[in-house]
Amino acid sequence: MISEENVLELTSILFAILIFPGFGFLFVCALGFQWIDRWVVAHLQGRIGPPWFQPLADFIKLMAKEDMLPIGAHERACALLPMVSLAAVLTVALYVPVGGHVVGAFEGDLIVVLVLLSLPAVAYFLAGWLSASVFSVVGGSRALLQYFAYEVPFLMALSGPAILSGSWSISRIAALQSQTVWMVLVQPVGFLLAFVGLIGKLKRSPFDIPKAKSEIGAGPLTEFSGRKLALWHLSLHTKTVVGIFLLVDVFLGGSGGSPTIWGALTFGAKSLLILLALSVAGVLYARLRIDQLTHVGWRVLAPLALLQILFVIWIGA
Amino acid sequence: MSRMTIPIGPQHPALKEPVSFLLTVEGERIVESALRIGYVHRGLERILQNRNYVQNVHVAERVCGICSHAHTTAYCQGVEALLGLDVSPRALYLRTLLCELERIHSHLLWVGVLAEHIGFTTIFMYAWRDREIALDIMEELSGGRVAHAVNVIGGVRIDVSQAQVHAILARLDELERQIGTFLDVIRHERTFQARTRGVGHLSAEQVRRYCVVGPVARASGVDVDMRRDAPYAAYDRLSFQVITADEGDVWARAMVRALETVESLHMCRQLLIGLPDGAPSLFKKGHSDGAPSLFKKGHSDGALAARAPRRVPPGEAVSRCEAPRGELIYYIRSDGSDRPARIKIRTPTLTTLMTLPDQLRDIHTADVPAVLAGVDLCIACADR
Amino acid sequence: MNVELVLEALREAFPTEALEPRAVPVDETFVPLPPDCVHPAVRILIERFGLRHLSTITGEDTGSEIVLLYHLWHGRGLTLRAVLPRDGAHIATLTDLIPGAAFYEREVSEMLGVTFDGHPDPGTLLLPDNWDGEPPLRQQRGGVQ
Repeated sequence: MISEENVLELTSILFAILIFPGFGFLFVCALGFQWIDRWVVAHLQGRIGPPWFQPLADFIKLMAKEDMLPIGAHERACALLPMVSLAAVLTVALYVPVGGHVVGAFEGDLIVVLVLLSLPAVAYFLAGWLSASVFSVVGGSRALLQYFAYEVPFLMALSGPAILSGSWSISRIAALQSQTVWMVLVQPVGFLLAFVGLIGKLKRSPFDIPKAKSEIGAGPLTEFSGRKLALWHLSLHTKTVVGIFLLVDVFLGGSGGSPTIWGALTFGAKSLLILLALSVAGVLYARLRIDQLTHVGWRVLAPLALLQILFVIWIGA
Repeated sequence: MSRMTIPIGPQHPALKEPVSFLLTVEGERIVESALRIGYVHRGLERILQNRNYVQNVHVAERVCGICSHAHTTAYCQGVEALLGLDVSPRALYLRTLLCELERIHSHLLWVGVLAEHIGFTTIFMYAWRDREIALDIMEELSGGRVAHAVNVIGGVRIDVSQAQVHAILARLDELERQIGTFLDVIRHERTFQARTRGVGHLSAEQVRRYCVVGPVARASGVDVDMRRDAPYAAYDRLSFQVITADEGDVWARAMVRALETVESLHMCRQLLIGLPDGAPSLFKKGHSDGAPSLFKKGHSDGALAARAPRRVPPGEAVSRCEAPRGELIYYIRSDGSDRPARIKIRTPTLTTLMTLPDQLRDIHTADVPAVLAGVDLCIACADR
Repeated sequence: MNVELVLEALREAFPTEALEPRAVPVDETFVPLPPDCVHPAVRILIERFGLRHLSTITGEDTGSEIVLLYHLWHGRGLTLRAVLPRDGAHIATLTDLIPGAAFYEREVSEMLGVTFDGHPDPGTLLLPDNWDGEPPLRQQRGGVQ
């Protein structure tokens, strides 16, 4: 027998997944964060920037455009890959608390999140490989090289707070910080590494090597257009949102413990801060070459991350 | 490791104009390259034979968009030499002023393009915003931002008043402050240096073998500049430095061009401050100070443009000029009619194109845009 | 560059030729030479005077003959002028002395139908690969009134 409580529970879960803090909310955030990023970058470069509805207009326009692939590309795989990427990101979003609200949480969801967040990178590389164009293949191989350079420091940096909190659940880590102290104050190096790793994961400047426009067209996504490209962009922008939320939860104390308006506002402010930092970082530097990036990744970032972990283990003991 | 052929061009985001490089790549290194030009060949030398000397001023201007004034300067100088015309000092100063303003705008355009190609979009935006100052000055002087139509055979068709001179000097001060930013970035910013130092190296010997001219040659230590070595227009009356560097890589070319922009600024100031008086101009009877009014028949001595006959006596002339990219040479032969018998143009970009196979050998794929941007290709010039 | 010394060296090298230099604006000296003397003359200029800068090579079809002008520069302009017959026009390449002559020779060869013997990379420069018409700058003056 389906009771009223079951129905209510079902509705609230559906609401959480589909509206808030789920897909609907993420869609709005993806567009909104994108607009803020473009507006900030434009003003830093002495320009004006697009109107607020530009990201939405771009999405609608791409959905309506013709969708074609070169001869020799795997049609079905190329159609599935952006959906896989988007699905992975949306699944991750279910476990990352937003202002104290989360759809599901369990011990170890941090590890699941980190694994799922690697899926879009694999999909991205495969997209380059399978779309049968010189530019996309070169872009794909660069994406893979870049992935290895930043992923290890990123994983190690995010493990630090988990070790210190004694829990591998993001919600728990976030909640604990409101009782003790923000993780960024205890492990600033870890936060910086996670931030730099996030730039690499999101393929933002100065780590936008795979899609270096002036060298190889658009890298792995060169041959994608129309609906597939719209979904790729959506998955990238949702990943931005989720990545920022993850950093806020793990290092900056989430919503400060209170799932009320005040908590939401603090959460929003912290997210915007990180977004601003990402925009500024993108504007300040020239793009590195892939060998320079792997050099930095393995010889600077990874050792730092290792040191940070050892430090965390030592003070935890 | 297997080899792959990457086509750069004829259409490619890295290229402003169509040219084709077929790069054979092994992993991330380039093994060899094949160059193909001629995609914008318009047969201009033939067209120039089929039009008269006055029409050809306008055809010569359209060989290239960025260095249009250099082309008309070289052309008009050649024809003036054949006619034995004396151009008035004031006209020479104004001609030189446009030459230097064009150099500034061309180098700023180039700084932006180089920055864009190495992923430094911010500097691209700043450079092109500051280039607007130079373009606005040129528009106020001539009515056009890039196609100025300032040169006529016998002189120039524009004049500038004292009030305009003061306004332009103020804006040049503003431009100088902005250029200071680029100099800082090129000298000190680490990611810029990481992408440009040691890239696209050309030795002085290679430069001499391929007869390279312009900032690319000067950045490899070859000290040659037509403005100083074969002075034309008003350059013998100006004091300026020729900038050279020794490293011979893209970074050195950036430094040379940036410092040349500063030198051009100083030259513009000298030209404006030292502008000789003009006698009544061809355009306005009586005043030498006013803006040009409607064309009126008037005096021609000391005027901004001497009357030039339609027919040019038989003869030959070789006219050289320092365009923003280097030595520009025009050979003109006349046979006594009102049309030239032969006009030959060699643009500076053709010389740097010959060095590209050498520069593109054995480098990273990621350095290709930096190398291409470093030589400042103007394919429309090269193809004619 | 001391033009007098250069002319003296050329007269020494080619005593049988009557070299009649003439001054041409702007600050240029034209020296007519037979076609097979161009390569040795350039060699002398490079070895004795260090003159290595070739600005360009002009080709012109005057209707009765083909004129080649080698514009050199070394502080002042020096142009070597060679006259070739319209049929079977050929001349030795300069690329072994000045590699920078490569593009100029290719352009003259495709525009005027002149063969440069020994050119390392002959082929069209500006014309399309499938061009099968007359060399474009050959004498056919027509066009706009």
